[in-house]
This record gives sequence, structure tokens and C-alpha cells, in this order.
Amino acid sequence: MARLWKFFGRFLRHKRPLFLGFLTIPIAALLDVRITVMIGEALDRMRGASDTEFLEGLFWMVLLIALVRGVFRFLQRWWLVCVSRYVEVDLKQDLFDQLTRLSFSFHDKSLSGDIASRLTSDVENIRMFLGPGLMYVAGALVMVPAALFTLIGLSPWLTLSMLLPMLAMGLGIQLLTPRLHRHSTAVQEKQAEISHIAQESFGGIRVVKGYGLEESRARRLERVSAENLGHQLGFARARGLSHAITETSHALTFLPILLVGGLALIDRTLEVGALFQFIDLTFKVFWPVIALGWMAGLYPRALSSARRIDELLGEQPEIRDPEQPTAPPRIQGALRFEQVEFRYPAAAAPALADIDISVAPGAMLGVVGPTGAGKSTLLGLIGRLHDPTAGAVKLDGFDVRRLELATLRRALGYVPQDSFLFSETYRDNVQFGSPEPLTDASVHELVATAGMAQEVARFPAGLDQLIGERGVTLSGGQRQRTCIARALAREPRVLVLDDCLSAVDTETEARLLENLRRAGSGRTLVVAAHRLSTVKHADEIVVIERGRISARGTHAQLLRSSDWYRETWRIQQAREELLAS
Amino acid sequence: MSGHQELDEDKRGTLDRALLWRLVRFARPHARQFVWSFLVLALVFALELAGPGLLRGAIDGPVGAAIAAREFEGAAFEPQPYVRELWWWAGAYLLVALLGFAFRYLEVAQLTRAGQLVVHDLRRRLYEHIQRLDVAWFDRRPTGGLVTRVTSDVESLAEMFTTGLVTLSFDLVKIGALLVVLFWLDWRLAGIAVALTPVLIGISMVFRGGAREAHRLVRRRLSESNGYLQEALQGIRVVQMFGREKLVSQRFAGHLSRYLSANVRTVLLFALFFPAIDWVVTLIQASSVRFGGTRIAQGELSYGLFLQFWFYLAMLLDPIRELGERYNVLQSAFAAAERIFGILDTQPTLKSNLRALDGPAPAPLSGPGHVRFEKVSFAYGSGPEVLTEVDFEIPPGHTIALVGATGSGKSTIVNLLLGFYEPTRGRILIDGVDLRELDARAWRARLGLVLQEDFLFAGTVRENLVLERAAVSADSLDLALEGSCSRELVERLPGGLDAPVAERGATLSTGERELLSMARALAGSPRLIVLDEATASVDSATEARIERATHSLLEHRSALVVAHRLSTVRRAHQILVLHRGQLRERGSHATLLSLGGLYARLHAMQFTDEPLLTSTDPLTSSPAR
Ligand SMILES: Nc1ncnc2c1ncn2[C@@H]1O[C@H](COP(=O)(O)OP(=O)(O)OP(=O)(O)O)[C@@H](O)[C@H]1O
Ligand SMILES: Nc1ncnc2c1ncn2[C@@H]1O[C@H](COP(=O)(O)OP(=O)(O)OP(=O)(O)O)[C@@H](O)[C@H]1O
Ligand SMILES: [Mg+2]
Ligand SMILES: [Mg+2]
Repeated sequence: MARLWKFFGRFLRHKRPLFLGFLTIPIAALLDVRITVMIGEALDRMRGASDTEFLEGLFWMVLLIALVRGVFRFLQRWWLVCVSRYVEVDLKQDLFDQLTRLSFSFHDKSLSGDIASRLTSDVENIRMFLGPGLMYVAGALVMVPAALFTLIGLSPWLTLSMLLPMLAMGLGIQLLTPRLHRHSTAVQEKQAEISHIAQESFGGIRVVKGYGLEESRARRLERVSAENLGHQLGFARARGLSHAITETSHALTFLPILLVGGLALIDRTLEVGALFQFIDLTFKVFWPVIALGWMAGLYPRALSSARRIDELLGEQPEIRDPEQPTAPPRIQGALRFEQVEFRYPAAAAPALADIDISVAPGAMLGVVGPTGAGKSTLLGLIGRLHDPTAGAVKLDGFDVRRLELATLRRALGYVPQDSFLFSETYRDNVQFGSPEPLTDASVHELVATAGMAQEVARFPAGLDQLIGERGVTLSGGQRQRTCIARALAREPRVLVLDDCLSAVDTETEARLLENLRRAGSGRTLVVAAHRLSTVKHADEIVVIERGRISARGTHAQLLRSSDWYRETWRIQQAREELLAS
Repeated sequence: MSGHQELDEDKRGTLDRALLWRLVRFARPHARQFVWSFLVLALVFALELAGPGLLRGAIDGPVGAAIAAREFEGAAFEPQPYVRELWWWAGAYLLVALLGFAFRYLEVAQLTRAGQLVVHDLRRRLYEHIQRLDVAWFDRRPTGGLVTRVTSDVESLAEMFTTGLVTLSFDLVKIGALLVVLFWLDWRLAGIAVALTPVLIGISMVFRGGAREAHRLVRRRLSESNGYLQEALQGIRVVQMFGREKLVSQRFAGHLSRYLSANVRTVLLFALFFPAIDWVVTLIQASSVRFGGTRIAQGELSYGLFLQFWFYLAMLLDPIRELGERYNVLQSAFAAAERIFGILDTQPTLKSNLRALDGPAPAPLSGPGHVRFEKVSFAYGSGPEVLTEVDFEIPPGHTIALVGATGSGKSTIVNLLLGFYEPTRGRILIDGVDLRELDARAWRARLGLVLQEDFLFAGTVRENLVLERAAVSADSLDLALEGSCSRELVERLPGGLDAPVAERGATLSTGERELLSMARALAGSPRLIVLDEATASVDSATEARIERATHSLLEHRSALVVAHRLSTVRRAHQILVLHRGQLRERGSHATLLSLGGLYARLHAMQFTDEPLLTSTDPLTSSPAR
């Protein structure tokens, strides 16, 4: 409960509507009880009365009270449910912000579809419990005592015997709760699974179609959907029981009214008007009581949702701002790797070890090596995608972990290997790189630098062209160059290019490198590549094999010192004998 | 994200009735379940009616008689017989209540069963339908939104079939029956209820129009904000590296505030609706007291009857009040149904996809698989022409290489060959038969495929390589691992072939993903292998090894290889040079070189030690040195 109260704190941020809303609850409830009492008393007055004038007054009075009650009930719903919606949105925003802060070790191990669906349903569970749920409970907490107080005055024994079925109901629901919870959790899990399957099938539709996987994917969905069906039915049986328990105990409340009330009527210790009050208040009390039961049913779900959300919000991003950041005056772009070691969580061997590199400001470092050697991992350390497990990465002599993230990343232009783009307009994607708004002229200039001006000019909508999810409507090379334009847009001191010219033909690559050279004088360049021609002119090239630097030097030196480099160069340069042929 | 074409083509004109009718059609195969449900509901209703009847019987019977007798007999009054009779009435009441227990249980269990069965079917149908739609259709749609269709939209239909449709229609039956019963009990008292029931239903109707719109909006906004969330999560690396957490947070806030304002509208509607209904209900009750009271006073109406009447009134008003709640469900279900039917009504435009739905059997595929592009031109949608009159052949057993500048249309040719899109002009022939007339799935099943933007599924390595294809055996898997040089990689992974693969293969390096895609393509022993930049991120040594290893594997197969790195295409029987969508040159490596055209230039660029970047370049030279 304490955990849920913490979330209630979020409701308290909206004090006024919350306070006013809760204030209206007792008023509406008391007015409701009042109506019953008035009618009940009138019933007794009727017996054999010759003058029925008073009924006229009663009629209008009841309507008036009902009108006031209606206004309060309107306000109650309006204020309280709105607050719960505000809280929902606040909470979602906080979760979103937290998710964007968390580091990759978190994101790598979770499914994005799963997170999204969890975020929706968990937040909804909490909203329901603390919003409308509490509203009903508060209603019950006023209604039940008020009604009992009225009824005990009329007949204590009858009141007590009426409570028995209600208690039985409470007990029954309590016993059912674990079962309800179990099934509803299973249903939720299956639905997340369905969502995941759909996510992958629709996101990877080209592979699905290309391999004719439609049928096997559909079978898989059908299987999970059938499992979902099974749990739904189990859940329905549990809900059926709880429904039967509530309804039957509702019906049984009238049994003592019939028996005890009937006996009292025979004994003349009770009047019919009082019996009526029992009946009508039972109607009015029972639904709030059921709401209590419903809340009890929601409780475990809300609790486990709260736990998950708490966990997520409490997750400390591994990569975060230092407590006392150093603030360098201006980033020059000198990079150093000192005895760096890095190991992915749960990996057997380190992905990088014994890395020592230094790059002077404005110099170019080439990173080459076989597939899976650790090039991307190395490049990721610069912008703190992850932190080294040992050693340090330094920018201008400062450990990157001592710099504010904003400062560090502001100085970097990063082009990821998978060239991720957003499904926005072309312009928005380039603009994404720059903290300041860009003019059309400067966007065009960037696009030209990235060697894509001609192609953008051919887009039907120009810069406003929508490029689809992940940029599907662009060719592979176009995506890569757009990513370069995006990185250039921040005018970075250090440009990190992760094999981002692989889908660009040699001619375009040559033009592009030429452009990059002209555009950013004095900019440090870190380039990972498979094509050695890309890095051939770097000031230093490191060859990484199995996470270690196996050789380093300039192109000419490496041709002499590194077997891997020489062999790769030979393969790529097999032209000699070819041209001779 | 924001700019995406509206996902749901709103068909505002759609009549609820038409929608309902379609939904009912989905329910028809499970008609028996629904008949059972109605039966159970009817029994529950009968028991519900019986309760107050017994109550009245007791009060007007033994209790009333006892009160009268006491007045008549005075001190000689002997309550025993009346009390005994009261016990009998109570016993009967108990029995009815306990019987109710069993049927109430069945009510929920049975109803949910009926609804869930329908929904399970619908989900399957919808999913299969979406998978059959054109690739071009997917290009314009956010995945997140589509996922919502088969998850929350379908689930809200489930609710509709249970709480919505069946209960609602039975509620209408109930209202009718109760009005009749009330009339029969005492027509003068019933007059008021009968007169005011239309008012109540009127309120529901007025309310209904607003609720429908509001719900539609809420669902759409929710799916938009979820879609954005997912995209932001997938691009999280870029977001963080560019320090744009604030920007995406603001965009998300925009989505949320639109969602909130749509929600606030529904809250307002419901906040108005319930009190309004309650007030009219009180009006009915107050009028019955007003007129019933007069008649009790005149001795024309017994207390028992009045109480029974009061019970039935509550029973009548409950479903009427619930109409709002049911509409709540129904409205949101209708909104979901519209979106679902919007998709079910979307027909693929490609002939092969259309046929997959229904239509004449496709031409059989039996030949060796000779591919021929005949003056193929193509444009994406209404965009500019991407390919112009492309003519070439892939004879069985030949390797054809496709080279050309970025954006020249190479992947587009692959897309056409796979039948993802159809040529705007010209034809693609397989063994002389137009690809459009063939069974696309059977055709694709003969291909081995590495796309430029490949995709690994979350699961294990083995699952990704096998993909539930019957053609993949342990042997072919072995050969494929050998051919793609990925055995070493797989052995390094914890668990080997059973090592877990994260979503989109996120925990593998790019080159490693390419190797696995290659292995996957080879594992199916394809007749024609299509490689679109399959080894762009693989080191040259491995690439050369793959080339050697696949040489024998590919000997009797055809291949279409797209590559920038010319070294990988030298062995091709024919090299096609694509320039801005046109085939400029073709021939073997040697002929093309001697031609001295585009290819020769590309080649020279790549393999000449041209001083593109000299150490005097300001970009690369270090002032410090
Ligand atoms: N789905 C699509 N919708 C609209 N336009 C597209 C789509 N896919 C590609 N295009 C456009 O068609 C043109 C050709 O793209 P294609 O992918 O065929 O090039 P490519 O030769 O494969 O280039 P690369 O070598 O960079 O991969 C490009 O201008 C691209 O923007
Ligand atoms: N998120 C991750 N979690 C666990 N292991 C990872 C993760 N990312 C990469 N690895 C592993 O770390 C190693 C180095 O990967 P990295 O991406 O740095 O290689 P790379 O040199 O960039 O390769 P490529 O040339 O294919 O791009 C690989 O063996 C890879 O499987
Ligand atoms: Mg990499
Ligand atoms: Mg391409």
C-alpha cells in the first residue's frame, strides 16, 4: 500500500480539484440517503391517511434534492476523473523521460513493444485504482456508515443480520483474489506476446514476405492467441465466480429483510415504511460495497503495476552526469583511450581490452578490423554509449565521465552503423542534429556536403519529403548520407563515423570525404571502416582483432607490420593483376 | 510519426447498423455459444423476477394476514401458523437465490467464452490480412499503429461481444419484459414509467453521438502516442548521442496533451450523462410514490404490491442506467471495429497479393527459373521514375551482378524481382510467365535472400536460420554455416546455435548480423539467391572466404548480386551497370573494362591509389604533428 500511496502523491499535485471532488462525495451520498428516508417515512403516513396533500410536497422536495445530488455527482466525476487523467499523462511523461535517459544495457535486454504495452496497461491499472477506484471507495465509506446509522436506529437486529451476506461476499472475493490475479497476469503476458509478434512481423515485413513466412508467423500468432484464449476463459471462470458471489449475496441480503423483517412486522415491532427503507438503502449501499470488492480485486494488479513502474523509475541510468562535472572552456577534440577494457554485461570475454590510443585535435583516426572485432564498441565509448569497465576515455585530457553529458555529446557528431532515421520529414531528420533551428539554406548546404543535394532535389516534396519508418523510402546509401548530414548539423568538434559509407559507391564516397575535409577544418575524425581506402590517409590507423589492438601506424607502416592489414589490402587491391589482364 | 498519413480512413458515413451487421457475421460461426448465452441470461432474468414476487407473496400473504388477524383477534392472536408460513416463503426465496448462483456464474463464463472465441478468429483473420497487404502500404504506416489493431482494438471488440452486444440486446429484452410485467401488476402506476422510459432512452441517444466521436479520437490519439514511444525507443541510441532527449520528450508531451484533451471530452460526457439519467430515474420513482401513495391511502394498493413494484422498477432502471456504460463499451468497440474493418477493406493492389486472398489459382512454378526483365520501368507511387526500360536476363545457373551509384535503383530491382512492387511498365518473366500471374509465395520460396536492410527476429540463432522452413535440414544448415563463414561466430556465442538473439539482433555487430542473414539465405538451398549488399559490413578476408565457400554452393544456382565493392562481383557471368535507373553497360568484367565507360571509371576510382585524401588535407592532417 505504501508503494501506491507514493503514486497518490502525484494526485496531490492537483490539490484543488482533488479536494473539491472528494468534498462532493459525502454531500451526494447523504442527499441520496435522505431521499430514501423521506419516502419511507411518507409510506407510513399514507396508511389510512385521508389527506394526501403532503405527497405533493414530498414529490417536489425529492426532485429538488435529486437535482442537487446530480450537480454534485457531476462535479465529483468531472473533477476526480479528470485528475486521474492528468496523473496518467504526468506519469507517462515521466516514464518516457526515464526511458530516454536509461542506458543501452537496459534497452538491449528489453523488448520495445513490451515496454510500450506495459507502460500503457500499468499506468492504466494505477489510474483506475487511485482515480475512479478511490472515488468509489470514498463513496462507499460515506454511504455505508450513513445507511447503517439510519437502519440501526430502525432495527439493530435486522441491520446486523443483513450484514452477514455482505461479509460472506467480502470473504469470498478475498479468497478469489489470488486466482483472479493469476489469470489476469497470464492474460497480460499473452497479450504482450501477441503485441511482440505483430511488432516483428509488421516491422520486418520484407523479410517475412521475402521468405514466405506469412504462414508460419500466422500460425505462431494463432498459437499465442489460443493460449490467450485459454487464460481468458480461466479468467472468465474466476470472474464468473466473483460475479455469482456478489449477486447472490445481494439477493441474500433480502432474505433477512423478508424473514426477520416479516417476523417484526407480525410482532408489530416494525412498520412497513421502515422495511421500505431497508430495501431501498440495500439497493443504494450494495453497489458501493461491490465497488469495494472490485477495488480489492484491482489491488494486487495495481500493486504489481506500481512495483514495475517504480522499478523503472528507480532504475539508475548507468550513464549519467557526474556529481561535480568539470567544465572545460572549449572542447578542442583531443582524444585518449587509456588502458581501456570493456565487457558487455553477461559476456564471457571482454569486447575490448588493453586499448591505448591518442588522437590529437584535428587528426584522423582510422579503426579497422574483422567483423565483430569491437570497432563499434570502441566508437561507442567516446560518446558514453557505455562506460569502460576499466581504464578511461579522455577528451581534452578530461575523463569523459567527469564531463557533463550535454557538454560531451554536444561536441560529438555520431553516425551510427545502422543509420537509424525517424519517420518524419527529411528536414526534421537533419534538423534533429542541430540544437538551434536551421534555415532552409543551411539544411541545403548540409545536404550538399553529405553529397545528397541532387537526390533531395528530385524528391517530390523536397525537404518536406516524408521518409517512412526508419527511412524505408530511401536507398541504403541515401540513409547513410542523411545520417552524416544530421551529424554535421551540430558542427561537432569530434566526428565519429561508424562504417557509414559502406552502402555508398566509391565515387560518391570520394566526393563525400572531399567535402567533409573541406567543411570541418580542425575537426577530429574517428572513422571505422571495412574499406581500407576510406581510412588510408588517416594519421593513425589501429587494427583491432578480437578486442585488442593488434597493430597500429599509418597506412604505409601497417602494410609492412600487420598481416591482417596487408592481406585485406591485397584482396581489395587485386586490381594489379586484373588490370593487366 | 506526426506526419504519417492518417491510419484510419474515417468512414464517418458508416451506419452503426452496417457495422453491427458485419460484426454479427463474424459471430455467426459461434452462433451456438450465443444461443447458450441468451438461454442463461433468460434463466437469470426469470430468477431475478421470482425474488421480488416471493417477497410480495410473503408480505401480502402471511405478514399481511397476521397484521389483519392481530387487529381482529386482539390478545387471542396466535402468530405461530403465520410464522410457519413465512418460513416457507423464506425457504423458497433461499432456493431461488442459490439457483441464481449457478446461473450467474454461467452468465459470465459463457458470455466471455462466446466473445473470446469470436475475437480469436477475428484476430487471426486480421493478422493474416495485414500480412498480405502490399509492401508499399507498409511503407506509409507506423508499425506501432498496426500493432494496436491486432492487440487493443481487437480486445475492445471482445468486450463488445460480451458486455456490449449480447448483454445490451438482452437488456432491451429485459426492459420490454419488465414494462409488460409492471403494466400487468398495476397499469396506472406503470404508466409513469412507460411514459418516461423514452426520455431515458432519448438521453442515451443524444449522448451516444458525442461519445462515439470522442472515443474514436481517444483511440487514435492513444495509438499515436504509443507509436511515437516505440519509435523513440528504437532510435534511443541516436536520441542520446545527439542529446535530444528534451526534443523527443517535448514531442511526446505534444502527443500526450492531444490524448488528454480527447480524454477530457469523454470524461465530460460521462460526467453529464450519469447524473442526468439518475435524475430522470428519481423522477420516475418519485412519481410512483406520489401516485402510488394516494392509492395506498385509499386502500386500493397493497404494500406488498408496492414493494414488488419498487423492486421491478429498480430492475428496470438498472439496465437503462447501464445503457450508458454499455454504450461506453460499444462506442469504443465501434471505433475499434471501424479501424479494423478499414484495414480488412483495404485490398492489396498487387495482383499476386490479391490472388492470395481469393481468385484463380496462380500459374504453377515448375521450370528452371529463367528470369527476364522486359523493358521494366518503375516509380514508387506517384514519385519520379526510378527505373527506366530495364532489360536483362538471369539464365539458370548464372550469376548476374548489379553495380551502380547509390540511389541508382539497384534495391528497387531486387524489390521488383521479389514481387514486393509491380512494374509500372514492362514485364518480369519467370520461364516465360509473367511474375504477376505466378504464386508470389511459391516464387519467393525458391529464393534465398539477403536484403540491404535485413531483419533478425528475437529468439535463438537457430530459429533465425531455420525460420520454420521445411527445406532446411541439419545438413543444409551445416553447409550454410560453412558457406557464410559464420560457424566461428556461432561457436563463439554462448549456447552456439541456441544462443539468444535480441530484438533486431541488437546485441550482434552489424557484420555478424550480415553473416547470419547470409547463412539464413543459404540454408534453404535456394534456386536463385539474391544478395543486396550482403557483405557491406563484413571484412574483406571473410568476404573473400565467403566467396570461395559459396562458389561451389552456387554452382548450379542462379544469383543476383548487388554490390558496391567491385571485387565481389568479378566472378559474375555478367555485370550490369545501372545509372539513374537505366542500364548503361553490360558484359563481363573484362569487356566492361575494355569498354572504358562507367564501369571502368568506377573501377579506377576504387582501385587506384588516387590521392583523395592526402596528408596535407586540413581535415586529416594534425596541426600538432
Ligand atoms: N519504398 C520507397 N518509396 C519511395 N521511394 C523509394 C523507395 N525505396 C527507394 N526509393 C527511392 O528510389 C530510388 C532508388 O532507390 P534504391 O533503393 O533502389 O537505390 P539503390 O541503388 O539500392 O541505392 P543504394 O546503393 O544506396 O542502396 C532512391 O531515390 C530512393 O529514394
Ligand atoms: N549490445 C551488446 N551486447 C552484447 N554483446 C555485444 C553487444 N554489441 C556487440 N556485442 C558483441 O561484441 C563484439 C564486438 O561488437 P562490435 O559491434 O563492436 O563489432 P564491430 O567491430 O563493430 O563489427 P562490425 O564490423 O561487424 O561492425 C561482437 O562479438 C558482438 O557480438
Ligand atoms: Mg560495427
Ligand atoms: Mg540499395
